[in-house]
Amino acid sequence: MSAAPLLEIEGISKSFGGVVAVDNCSMTIREGTVVGLIGPNGAGKSSVIDLVSGFERPERGSVRFAGVEVVGKRPDAISRMGLIRTFQTPREWRDLSVIDNVRVGHSDLKRETIWRSLRFGHSMRREEDAETEELRVLMTHYRLDGVRNDRAVGLSGGQKRLLEFARIAAAKPRLTILDEPMGGVNPVLGERIGEAIRELKKAGSTVVVVEHNLPFIERTCDEVVVMDLGSVIAQGPFAELRDNKRVVDAYLGNDDE
Amino acid sequence: MLQYWTAILTEAAIFSVLALGIDMIWGWAGDFDLSAYAYFALGIYMTIVLTVGKAKSPVEYVLGLRLPYPLAVFIAVVVVVAFASIIGAIALRSLREVYFSITTLGAVWAIYYLVENFTPLFNGYNGVYGLFDPMGGGLSYAAYHYLFLGFCLLALFVVYLMVQRLSRSPFGRMVRAVRDDERAASVYGRNVFWAKYRTYLFGAGLAGFAGGLFAAYIGAFNPLDWKPTEIFVLYAAILVGGRGNPRGVVLGSFIVYVGFVEMTRYIPSPAARPELGPALRQILIGLLIILMLKFRPSGLLPERLGTDGTVPRRSWRGLLSRSKPLSLAGEVESTADSPEGTAT
Repeated sequence: MSAAPLLEIEGISKSFGGVVAVDNCSMTIREGTVVGLIGPNGAGKSSVIDLVSGFERPERGSVRFAGVEVVGKRPDAISRMGLIRTFQTPREWRDLSVIDNVRVGHSDLKRETIWRSLRFGHSMRREEDAETEELRVLMTHYRLDGVRNDRAVGLSGGQKRLLEFARIAAAKPRLTILDEPMGGVNPVLGERIGEAIRELKKAGSTVVVVEHNLPFIERTCDEVVVMDLGSVIAQGPFAELRDNKRVVDAYLGNDDE
Repeated sequence: MLQYWTAILTEAAIFSVLALGIDMIWGWAGDFDLSAYAYFALGIYMTIVLTVGKAKSPVEYVLGLRLPYPLAVFIAVVVVVAFASIIGAIALRSLREVYFSITTLGAVWAIYYLVENFTPLFNGYNGVYGLFDPMGGGLSYAAYHYLFLGFCLLALFVVYLMVQRLSRSPFGRMVRAVRDDERAASVYGRNVFWAKYRTYLFGAGLAGFAGGLFAAYIGAFNPLDWKPTEIFVLYAAILVGGRGNPRGVVLGSFIVYVGFVEMTRYIPSPAARPELGPALRQILIGLLIILMLKFRPSGLLPERLGTDGTVPRRSWRGLLSRSKPLSLAGEVESTADSPEGTAT
């Protein structure tokens, strides 16, 4: 468990208007772990994800991914280093077919130039046809085989969640950050999503999960980071945090203060 | 009559090329661009001033060279793309949807009034003209026009093949992903601006090329007869044929140009009100847009879905079946709720 740190966040802060969303927040995510990021509403979890993935820029502090400073980089540049995040609502490409959604996740970006598409159109189509079988297996795995040729917009909410996982699995990122993957999901599908997270880990991805469902976090994660009021108040295995007074106060409120 | 049809088909072929360019920008990348007409017009102007030779007073315009026609068209396309790279860089950087459209609308009217009032550029509202014959003048009038129709159809065919290949390539898929959700596209490593920008420049280049063809066809161009609002006819053509489907765009262009723009010329107007006929044409085109949006929003040939090869292709057959609405209407009902669903 003493793997090298993959994501090192040091003292980042961010305010929106007068509201301090993230306040001198630091944490380290080690390679190969599944980390739960928990905390009450407004604790700054989603803001931290935005800061790490480049959608917002911190006012102070540094974020190093695989040893490289990423503050100031665009989201697509950070993504190309191997970081993929999700949003609280599934964001499928609605007018692409389900399999094309997965193909975009899977595709080599070098193929996507106009020149190569014109010059090597046929050979690239053959390459993609050869990959289709692999993707079909992947889609069956995520229970999308029946809808793989349909427009993604027509999927049910649960299927959209699974499509998100199929897309990530096709992209093979080094770090996956999931923002409430269980939102609006029934318990049976919730089990499947827990399994999908463990599969991502098995495939070599480090995973950070933001989630409010604590039993789910306990089952799925190796380690938990607890945030409150914009900064980290505890980090460690779930069992240790259960008795941590600050964690309990943050979640249940403290009448003494 | 034969010459009349030659003229209509030539025009339809040229406007198909223009529509293919506009569809890349609107259909694929989702940017409702209103300055494409400026790229078309600039393509025409540049081709004319590069081929007809020195301006004779009182006519004045820039350059006035006598280059071979293909070279002139090539340079015209380069100039158009360079010009589009400026407007695109401003409009695509952070503006989207209606804000993008308003910016491009502002650009096209600014250019329109500049060209109309600044005579040293392209001779102002009188426009530039010059009969020139790319084939060298050895042919009769009719033979030349048949040959030019053939040339335009060939050009359309080559452009169509190119655009169709791009449309089905990883590039076309990536641009559509950016259109559907920019944030998700950047999460998967795609540079949103660069994807839209490249598509914009390619589409503008096609518009410039269409202008090069049109210059040789009419040999004259002035801003009074060609207002930027003409572009809505092209958007109507794209809507009718099928936004995002190159085959549909060509079909729609021929339907709208042959069926509406030309055929409605025969609507008789009372002698006292000669403007009624052309007005009716505009009304019919407006009506066509409304009816298509109401009953078949994704066009006669809807955008093609990428499949895994197990689904039979429905291209021409798609004309007969009711299409699913594309983006414009609400959520389409899920086709499979159970995981087993509708395996094919």
